[in-house]
Amino acid sequence: MEEMILKLKQEIIEVLNLEDVKPEDIDNDAPLFGEGLGLDSIDALELIVLMEKNYGIKLQDPAKGKEIFKSIKVMADYIQKNRTR
Amino acid sequence: MATVIQCIADNVVSPVGRTSVENYTNVKAGCSGLARYEEMDRVSSPFMLSRIDRHLMDELCTGLGIPDGKYTFFEKMLLTSSIQAVRKSGIDPSSDRVLFIISTTKGNVSLLDRDVKGFPQERVLLGRSAGMVTGYFGNPNAPIVVCNACISGVCAQIEAMRALQSGRYDYAVVIGADEQSPFIISGFLSFKALTDTPCRPFDKDRTGLNLGECAATVVLKAYDGPACGWVLEGGAIRNDANHISGPSRTGEGSYLALMEVLRKCGGTQGLAFINVHGTATAYNDEMESIALYRAGLIDVPVTGLKGYYGHTMGAAGIMESILSMYAVQDGTVLATRGYSTQGVTYPVNVSPDNRPAYGNRFIKLLSGFGGCNAALSYAYYNI
Amino acid sequence: MTDMEKDRNLKYTVITGNTVTVCGRVLEHEHTGSVMLTEIYRTHAGDWPKFFKMDTLSKVGYLASELLLKELGGCRLEAEEYTSARAIVLFGTTASLCADRNYQETIQDSDNYYPSPALFVYTLPNIVTGEIAIRNHYRGETSFYVLDGFDAGSMAFHLQRAFCDEQTESVLAGWVDSTGNDDFSCFFTLLYREDVQDLERLETELKGIMDNLNDIELWKR
Repeated sequence: MEEMILKLKQEIIEVLNLEDVKPEDIDNDAPLFGEGLGLDSIDALELIVLMEKNYGIKLQDPAKGKEIFKSIKVMADYIQKNRTR
Repeated sequence: MATVIQCIADNVVSPVGRTSVENYTNVKAGCSGLARYEEMDRVSSPFMLSRIDRHLMDELCTGLGIPDGKYTFFEKMLLTSSIQAVRKSGIDPSSDRVLFIISTTKGNVSLLDRDVKGFPQERVLLGRSAGMVTGYFGNPNAPIVVCNACISGVCAQIEAMRALQSGRYDYAVVIGADEQSPFIISGFLSFKALTDTPCRPFDKDRTGLNLGECAATVVLKAYDGPACGWVLEGGAIRNDANHISGPSRTGEGSYLALMEVLRKCGGTQGLAFINVHGTATAYNDEMESIALYRAGLIDVPVTGLKGYYGHTMGAAGIMESILSMYAVQDGTVLATRGYSTQGVTYPVNVSPDNRPAYGNRFIKLLSGFGGCNAALSYAYYNI
Repeated sequence: MTDMEKDRNLKYTVITGNTVTVCGRVLEHEHTGSVMLTEIYRTHAGDWPKFFKMDTLSKVGYLASELLLKELGGCRLEAEEYTSARAIVLFGTTASLCADRNYQETIQDSDNYYPSPALFVYTLPNIVTGEIAIRNHYRGETSFYVLDGFDAGSMAFHLQRAFCDEQTESVLAGWVDSTGNDDFSCFFTLLYREDVQDLERLETELKGIMDNLNDIELWKR
């Protein structure tokens, strides 16, 4: 799980162009949206693409994304349970 | 006397009709160009699209004398509409006193697809593509392309008005069009902005927008004299300065554009209705209702055409203005197809049925990616 | 016109694939292309992490406007004030071509088909005006016009026309092009009403700025 979380953080940093952020800067339980990383609606859509591209998880409803992308931990748990790749 | 900017001819080419009259008559009767597609090329999700039949377009081209094989589909859209409007206007399009202004968001972007062949890549350049139109008409002036996202059609008319007011030109041919290629469709799908059912502007169950293809043209004339016929009174463009794709939650830019247009064009006197953007996304319609409320316009009848045409991008501002002109002259506020139950915070004065219109003016309002918003006002004076 | 007014030249910034000048002064940098843009951002225009999400056209336009506004001083608004007094009117030939190509790559191959919303949003050249408006709280007019090749006459004419809006007191104006992530060029200037009264003079000035840009590009090659 630790390894997966690190990989996920690296993927998020790359895909969302978070240039000045390192994996160790991202707290596993901190909110990704609003405060914390301050991601926005376009970032949420890119995370949906990331889920499908890297883990084979298709999310049709963007509203569901809000719950899944609550924090790195929540996201990693969801991926672990639902990944097809 | 101040220079009057008059619309002397117009045309709409769409799945709903090949002339403005055909389009208006069919829309008034409730006809929509929208159809459901399960997939298209590499796009494998379903969506709604109002698509111009390619064979009918070729037929129209033949009928208008447009040579085969020389123009891309996007250019054919521009030409089939502008040729009809220019002929109706009686102007000499090859005169240097005529300026061509084109409104489009993506032009020939489908040429970037490596599977699409037949035209040089450089035609992807919007100015190059626009030059095919001025070249057809033999017009010596460099055309200008307004590429301002979905508000381009309103911006193009505003810019035409300003260009004519300078005295450098007597006429402006303003053409708006966009081809709905997989490029655009896939993009909006990635934004989860589309619905695969007919869109529902302002409705509480609205789930997103539909896309559409359309080409529309207005020929504007500048003259000094009493106002006569359809007069473009003014317009304004304002930015939310908030987010590059999401609308401002307070409808800032739309509100500012509306206020400026009201200030410049005599307030709400004679205002028959406001033709809104009404894309049927959760945020856009909510934002528009807030902007209308803040501008003191919440009781003014509202009409939206996306339920007939889908979102026609670069053509929207022009086509929706033209249909509004016909509606005012017909004494009708066109039904907002797809609307059923109020679904925004400030209840807009919208209806699923055609209603009588009172007044000789309308305002056209649009918003677009990049936080931009635009409004214009037209007024009709009996000839 | 007084002699002082006759001598008045427009202040402008230039960015090409390997050069950045601010009001005639060359900014030192080590890299070229997209890496240069990051370098210039960090050295001269930081404090806006959204920069890294932008496409090339927006990065170039954003930087050119930042450098210009910082140099001219007092032009950015204080506190949280918003204004409709400043318009942003940009021109170019390539529009969003660079972003279009990058987005097309995400949908070209049916075996690797992952349309990117973050790339798609930049496939409109007017997004550059939106980014600048957001940064500076400009709620005025924002527009993007495409011409087939640099045309000082058209650019001058349409910039003058922008002042037809009575609320517009100044226009952040620019010409910006990009055909690739490392291939771009632009110039930005700030115009007030008095700068657009004499159309011929404005056209000459704009042509002069573009000539300067082309000279820089030739010299550096």
